[in-house]
Amino acid sequence: MISAVQDYEAIKTAVKTAADAHGEPDWFVQRRLDAVDAMQELALPEVKRYDFHRWPLMDNTDLNFRKSDTSLANDLPRSKGQIRFVQVGQTTVAVNVPTELSKQGVILTDIFSAFRDYPELTQKYFMTKVTKFNENKLTAYQQAFLNSGVFLYVPKGVEIKQPIEVYLIQDSTVKQAMVSHVLIIADEGSQFSFIQHLNTKGDVDNAAHCMVEVMSQPDSHVHFSSVDELGKNTYSFLHRRAHLSENARFDWAVGIVNEQNTLGDITSELVGEGSHSESKVIAVTTGKQSNGINNRVVNIGKHTTANISQRGVLLEKSELIFNGIGNIIHGASGANAEQENRVLMMSDQAHGDANPILLIDENDVIAGHAASVGQVDENQMYYLMSRGIDKELAQRLVIRGFLGPVLEEIPLPEVRQEMIDVIERKIEDGQHFKQSNE
Amino acid sequence: MATLEVKDLHVEVKEEKDQTREILKGVNLTMKTGEIHAIMGPNGTGKSTLAQTIMGNSAYHVTQGDILLNGDSILGMPVDERARKGLFLGMQYPAEIKGVTNAEFLRAAINARRPEDDQISVMAFLKELDKNLELLDMSKEMTERYLNEGFSGGEKKRNEILQLLMIKPSFALLDEIDSGLDIDALQVVSKGVNSMRGDDFGSLIITHYQRLLNYIVPDVVHVMMDGQIVKSGDADLAKKLEKEGYAGLRDELGLHVNLVDDNR
Repeated sequence: MISAVQDYEAIKTAVKTAADAHGEPDWFVQRRLDAVDAMQELALPEVKRYDFHRWPLMDNTDLNFRKSDTSLANDLPRSKGQIRFVQVGQTTVAVNVPTELSKQGVILTDIFSAFRDYPELTQKYFMTKVTKFNENKLTAYQQAFLNSGVFLYVPKGVEIKQPIEVYLIQDSTVKQAMVSHVLIIADEGSQFSFIQHLNTKGDVDNAAHCMVEVMSQPDSHVHFSSVDELGKNTYSFLHRRAHLSENARFDWAVGIVNEQNTLGDITSELVGEGSHSESKVIAVTTGKQSNGINNRVVNIGKHTTANISQRGVLLEKSELIFNGIGNIIHGASGANAEQENRVLMMSDQAHGDANPILLIDENDVIAGHAASVGQVDENQMYYLMSRGIDKELAQRLVIRGFLGPVLEEIPLPEVRQEMIDVIERKIEDGQHFKQSNE
Repeated sequence: MATLEVKDLHVEVKEEKDQTREILKGVNLTMKTGEIHAIMGPNGTGKSTLAQTIMGNSAYHVTQGDILLNGDSILGMPVDERARKGLFLGMQYPAEIKGVTNAEFLRAAINARRPEDDQISVMAFLKELDKNLELLDMSKEMTERYLNEGFSGGEKKRNEILQLLMIKPSFALLDEIDSGLDIDALQVVSKGVNSMRGDDFGSLIITHYQRLLNYIVPDVVHVMMDGQIVKSGDADLAKKLEKEGYAGLRDELGLHVNLVDDNR
């Protein structure tokens, strides 16, 4: 960790040298330096009832740019003409945008090219409006040490039928934190879905800082899904936030199925009147891992609707804390915010919690919450086993039943299936581990 | 030929404050494949307990006696193993599981009793499924719905019988499979069970009413009262009961049994 002031000066010099050598525009180099300065004063973000202070999230304060072995992306599903962006470590492996979309002005490119080529958009929106770089130490770290990421711009009125698939693969064959940024600007009336896949290759101990910022302009309609599968030696901070303007619709469908400790912070800020967000999160924890997840919706504009639905499954000795935070700001009359947070304990050695946190400063609203920490439904287990299905498969089916209400609302069938496959693979691993230890 | 024997079975359940209550008080029953047995009896007399205990529901504790399948005790076996050995319980209240389709569940159940390297092919499965759906007058759409989720009472019962037809157990315990069914559904369900009749299939049908037994004619009828089988006979016994009620039989046998389950 960095501590003394002289360390910061040395870091700034090193960051500037690396960023200049990387050919970054001056405005961005300056922002990096401002962020290093800010880090000195800022505290870590607060997650209620969850302690992550000793995690090695900011050990790496070198800004390095290196080429990754692109063959690490070889096992991705074969592209069948999808709109696709693939990045391994800091190296962009593939970008496929149909010509007709490019002609309409759709931009899908790596974040550093975007800083150079589209400063009018990136300078305006990168960590300035959706998330500010100086919110806390981790956001400042993000801006200071950013080393990978992707930029998407969908112009006014453009409707993209095919989902946009982005694969971000952490290269842990070397010692290097992943500090990645997804910046999405959905211009007025645009419509599209975005699918992000996070993976790790290699088993070097590294942190991953994966930030997503979405600027949803008026009347846009965006669906964001993410299947997070970071590796067993990756401590991660997943910071995802959307800013919704008037009548924008923005939905999250996030499956957090990482193998190591994860701090998740997912937020929808409903600024514009009549905007609407559905925030769905699934998490599965196994082994001794610990996940702390804040899922936050902030109703600011009038007549805004924001619903949270989270379900988590805990196996072995893992820990999972779900905080559902519904924040209704004074003046957000006619706001509607419902939340449901449920965790299912598959082991009596696991520790799970589902905390609804309602912060309401307005009278004319509808808000509600449901939360539960439960055991596996014995009646369902009995029913399945009475048909000859063995205990492990029965458990996986019951878990799927538990996750069903969130899974079934994922609109893209391929994402839903991928999520189910990833979750069941992880649960199966957890079950086998348990058996071999019995 | 397979046999299922229940010998001097005593079963109790836990109630609040560590109290236990004995429900079955020495049940004896022997059945073979090729036979259909019916168990009748007033409410609260232990009929469902018998079925649940044979299947292995952990809420019921056997304190005495034994259950033998083909001569071997199954008391130490978990539920799934009993099922794979050939037992099936058509439940009064089937569980609902969102996220798992009926078809997927059926395949998993069929494959559970087949070796890993000989799982049923998709074609063979669908062929069998189509045949049975037609027999039960069920739409294909039912199999793509989540398991029992949002099914009406009648749909659930049909779905239990669909599972029976797909899984093809040696012995089916059918617990009030007629409750909540209108006459058309009752006929369909009966048709399904009757189609299973043969040398390799036996069934124990639990019912309050004789009506079901007009459609599925039993070889043996047992009457259960207060945790014991008090009388066995042929199909005519059910008709007699329908006419005279359980009280008549009780008095005839000189039993001191309270028949109103509210007062138990």
